[in-house]
Amino acid sequence: MEVLAPDTLDKALLEASQPETRLIAGGTALQLEWAKGCVQPRRMVSLARIPGLSGVMQGQSAVRIGVMTPLAELLRAPEIAAHLPLLAAAIRVVASPSVRNLATIGGNIAGRTGCLLPALLALDAVVDVAGAAGSVSLSLEDWLADTDREPEILTAIHIAPQDPDERFVFRKTGLRAAFTPSVINVAGRILPGRDSPRFARLAVGGGIVSPARLREAEALACGDGDWAALHAVLLSTIDAPGDDVRSAAYRRTVAANALTFGLGGYLPARAPAMSVAIEPHSSQTGKVELALGRTRSPERWHIRPDLPAKIGGTLTYLTDHRQSDMLVGRILRAGIAHARILSIDTTEAQALPGVAAVVTHRDIRGENAFGIVVQDQPALCFDKVRHRGDPVAAVAAVDDATAQKALSLIKVVYEPLAPVTDVEAALLPQAVAVHETGNLQREILFSRGDVAQGFAEAFHVVEDTYVTPRQMHGFMETEGGYAFVDPDGTLNICAGGQHGGRDRLQLSRILGLPEENIRVVTSPTGGAFGGKDELSVQPALALLALKAGQPVRLQLTRAESVLAGQKRHPMTIRMKTACDASGLLLAQEVDLLADAGAYASLGPGVLETAMEHAAGPYNVSHIATRGRLAYTNNGLCGAFRGFGANQMTFAIECQMDRLAALCDLSPVEIRQRNLRLPGTPGYLGQTVAPSERLDEMLAAAKASPLWRRPQGLCDDAEWLIGTGMAMNYQGNGLGSVIPDPCAGRLALTKDGFIEGAYGLDEMGQGLLTAICGAVSTELGCARSDVRPLTGDTRLAPDSGSTTASRGTYVVWASARKAAPEFRRQMCDAAAGLLGCDPQRLVFAPGGLAEAGSNSGKLLVTYRQLADHLPDADLPSVTVTYEFPKTDYPASNARYIFAFGAALARVAISRVTGQLRVLDLHQHSAAGPIIDLAAYLGQLEGGAVQGLGFTLSEDCKMRDGAHLATNLDTYMLPGIQDAPADLSIFAREELDAGDELGPRGAGELGIGAITPAIANAIFAATGYCPAVTPIDPEALLSRLAVPE
Amino acid sequence: MTLDFTLNGKPVLLECTADTRLTDILREHLARTATKLACGIGRCGACSVLINGRLANACLLMAFQLEGADIMTVEGLLAHPLGQAVREGLAEENAFQCGYCAPGVSLALVALFAEQPDAGEREIRAGLEGNLCRCTGYHSIIRGALNAASRIRTAQLR
Repeated sequence: MEVLAPDTLDKALLEASQPETRLIAGGTALQLEWAKGCVQPRRMVSLARIPGLSGVMQGQSAVRIGVMTPLAELLRAPEIAAHLPLLAAAIRVVASPSVRNLATIGGNIAGRTGCLLPALLALDAVVDVAGAAGSVSLSLEDWLADTDREPEILTAIHIAPQDPDERFVFRKTGLRAAFTPSVINVAGRILPGRDSPRFARLAVGGGIVSPARLREAEALACGDGDWAALHAVLLSTIDAPGDDVRSAAYRRTVAANALTFGLGGYLPARAPAMSVAIEPHSSQTGKVELALGRTRSPERWHIRPDLPAKIGGTLTYLTDHRQSDMLVGRILRAGIAHARILSIDTTEAQALPGVAAVVTHRDIRGENAFGIVVQDQPALCFDKVRHRGDPVAAVAAVDDATAQKALSLIKVVYEPLAPVTDVEAALLPQAVAVHETGNLQREILFSRGDVAQGFAEAFHVVEDTYVTPRQMHGFMETEGGYAFVDPDGTLNICAGGQHGGRDRLQLSRILGLPEENIRVVTSPTGGAFGGKDELSVQPALALLALKAGQPVRLQLTRAESVLAGQKRHPMTIRMKTACDASGLLLAQEVDLLADAGAYASLGPGVLETAMEHAAGPYNVSHIATRGRLAYTNNGLCGAFRGFGANQMTFAIECQMDRLAALCDLSPVEIRQRNLRLPGTPGYLGQTVAPSERLDEMLAAAKASPLWRRPQGLCDDAEWLIGTGMAMNYQGNGLGSVIPDPCAGRLALTKDGFIEGAYGLDEMGQGLLTAICGAVSTELGCARSDVRPLTGDTRLAPDSGSTTASRGTYVVWASARKAAPEFRRQMCDAAAGLLGCDPQRLVFAPGGLAEAGSNSGKLLVTYRQLADHLPDADLPSVTVTYEFPKTDYPASNARYIFAFGAALARVAISRVTGQLRVLDLHQHSAAGPIIDLAAYLGQLEGGAVQGLGFTLSEDCKMRDGAHLATNLDTYMLPGIQDAPADLSIFAREELDAGDELGPRGAGELGIGAITPAIANAIFAATGYCPAVTPIDPEALLSRLAVPE
Repeated sequence: MTLDFTLNGKPVLLECTADTRLTDILREHLARTATKLACGIGRCGACSVLINGRLANACLLMAFQLEGADIMTVEGLLAHPLGQAVREGLAEENAFQCGYCAPGVSLALVALFAEQPDAGEREIRAGLEGNLCRCTGYHSIIRGALNAASRIRTAQLR
């Protein structure tokens, strides 16, 4: 591409008239356009060097704004703040602060879809346009109307100051609180006159809505102040299309509401009467519950060991490795949802200069199949492709551009097959089979008692179908890493993961190499949440490094990660729940259908976990449940924090509130009447661990201050507030059937640190700080004496997976089990050195001290001890053991659970149907907290991930293709979506004799967020949303009670 | 083109095409990987840098826009008068988990406090609208930013 930067308008105009040329101002829209497939122009003409195009000037009758003025500059300009507050309001919600530093007002206009256009139309903006025939001024409206203009350059915008007496509104409705694509933007101005408004301007635009003034409505607005009539005219005259996310009707309604409400406080219906909130009455003092935070527990607050390097940018992630002889890898994706492969021809790609290796299924020496539960996924496809992101070939080349070019030269001939994209249809007899074994990947049936009898005896029955989204993990660091072969032939695979030992096993099968010849490094990784549990880039990396004989790095672009990465299983849960007149649960019937996508991965485990939580923490005598997992061609699904439990919890906890309402009970009371009793058998009849804390969690929920904060319609008449709760309990570990081996090692390193070695992974959750905490607490040394070693199959023992909330237990239990022998070895070694009785020595910060001594004087430092010991004599203790299990053999039942209660206070807009979570409180009981900050982080992070699941996140698909391809339309929660008040509370005590130690908190945070929010909506409106992410249109339609 | 710009106070001269993105210049051409890349379209803030003192997404900046520019990445942050306070404030509150967003957030906060030394939670939230974090739920970042703000006020670094 050629970029020109002329220094005069004339030169720029001349260049702009050339073919395949594009004018460019701030350039902030280009990368997205190109990523979406728009052809890059051959030439770009930057306007940046032309003088006079930038700046704000106050003229006699108007403010003049140069087109090249960045949006952020406009916000700093006193002229804009003083005279054009409507424009300032509009600019503040364009993109983000960093984008506004580059993006210009001219660019926003020239793109013809900019968020500012309705504001500029309402302000009667006039634009100066320079063309071949000279410069002209015309209204922005006229300029927009003429889409077939000769090459020209906008030079300036003129806007007359707003009247100090006018009322105005600008409102952007998007898909999340801030930095969002526009659903519709409105701008309105009314200048009051003596009898009726003298002047009105109303306009819409933004995103797919064509910018337009609303003239008929403007005329009416100048009339007698009949807001109902104005609203009706707006509804009938606003021209707005619909798309896959929001309907045309929603856009029109929101725009009409925003204009009449913003200018006149009018909405076309009254608010629904508030459902009764629960009686706030509780005797719990909250003494045993700890409110988590640095300032509350400064003595327990430790800065994570990896944090300074992360903030300083000096921590090298596995995708950050660079060296001069390192090749760049790329993977060829199928691009078709379902097809038979007829041929793959890599000849041209291999011949391309700069290409070091091209690999296909023909390069696989072992089994071309992997998968944590069943091995149904090819490392590189050979007979069929089953989703658009399926890998078919991979290339390693000297640089990324050459690798991409090589991919384009690989010729794959497909015979398309009918894609299976509807999960219900996938199970019909006539459905095309995604796998030869059929599309029903797994079916789990469970029953107890007699549901027919239960429903026959019922006083109230609630039945609904709960639908949950295909949530994206959205880890900031996409899948990737590097690989190289050691001189001794060992293959090193360094890619973010969650269980290096299992990655090695799977790679060994694929490559036909003994496990001893493979080293897998999986830490540190930039977020995982379950999404890096299964293999992703590792097979391609391995094959490329082996074939090229050179180091190779490979990282998925975000778009590729969206296309080919795992997602949360979308679920449809039909749930029918019965109770008697007093609210006692009688019967529970559940039918769950989950979309597995193309391969099983951990889907069977997710399904099993969901089904294990089918009655929540409640006693129900009569139960019949069915869970099914079906193959489709809808991408990949796999493990994701919560692992099926949070979806099921959403359903059961909403059922509880609905039954409570029917029984005229409070949400707390109905739960109290049905809560399982500690010490009784678990849901499947299994023995469960002690230290159950459900009663305590419910008591904490009952005592929550959120019930006493303002509820109902706010004074502004827009926001309806309600509070809801949900119980939470999450099983830890893999279950009773699957082998769940754990291991850990304590050792003295040559440089004098006490090493806590674990084959677990630091993915952000705080593994390193947990190791420092657990080992130092167990031994009595300082945290700074401990050096964690993680995520490396060569150096650390295989501790099992960093999933299923099991990591914390493994860290703690290994330290505890290894400590006695390690202490003995250390003290013996030191005693030999000091010539004293080993019994007299104890661990202290920095070294070993004399037992009972108050001086704190060290007899020998760890460093001194290490210095005096030959390498072979350095103390080292490895322990291996099974994760604690229950006695249930029929399926995977959990033994250990962690407990919680979540409360949400939410505000729902009567203008847009959108929701803001005001307060989110999580009460938790997961045993002793090893590291306070990490625990707090898990609960807080889980909460906002749950909030995204509930309000904005869904990978919608059509024909097996993702509709959102990047973070521009996949809506991860941003900082403005985070609740104003996010508070975490914990109970740490265990029952007497409970030797199981800390429970995992990794999944607790997400478990009950969705039903707490849904129940808050139910409390505020009487409507319980059963589909997530919650559709504001559905909510809006329930908010208006006809007058 | 031959690109001539300043990176963390040091001159850089390199050959690249005019549309090469700053993220590629840093991570690929110069092997400077402290600046992260997570979306490539200006929607996540992981690649935030300061260009002539102002916050920008490195993935949206192309070589021709960098000619003569002064670029600061997280590696150069301590040279900024507010850099140390921001780092320490964030660290003390354990603001981050996986840390992949940390360099970008740090730069966004330095840019914010440079312009609004009295920024409180409202301004901090507005200033970080362009920085996505998937791990923390943002509250630890807000606490870290408030901690940094307090350090800046105490030390009168404005």
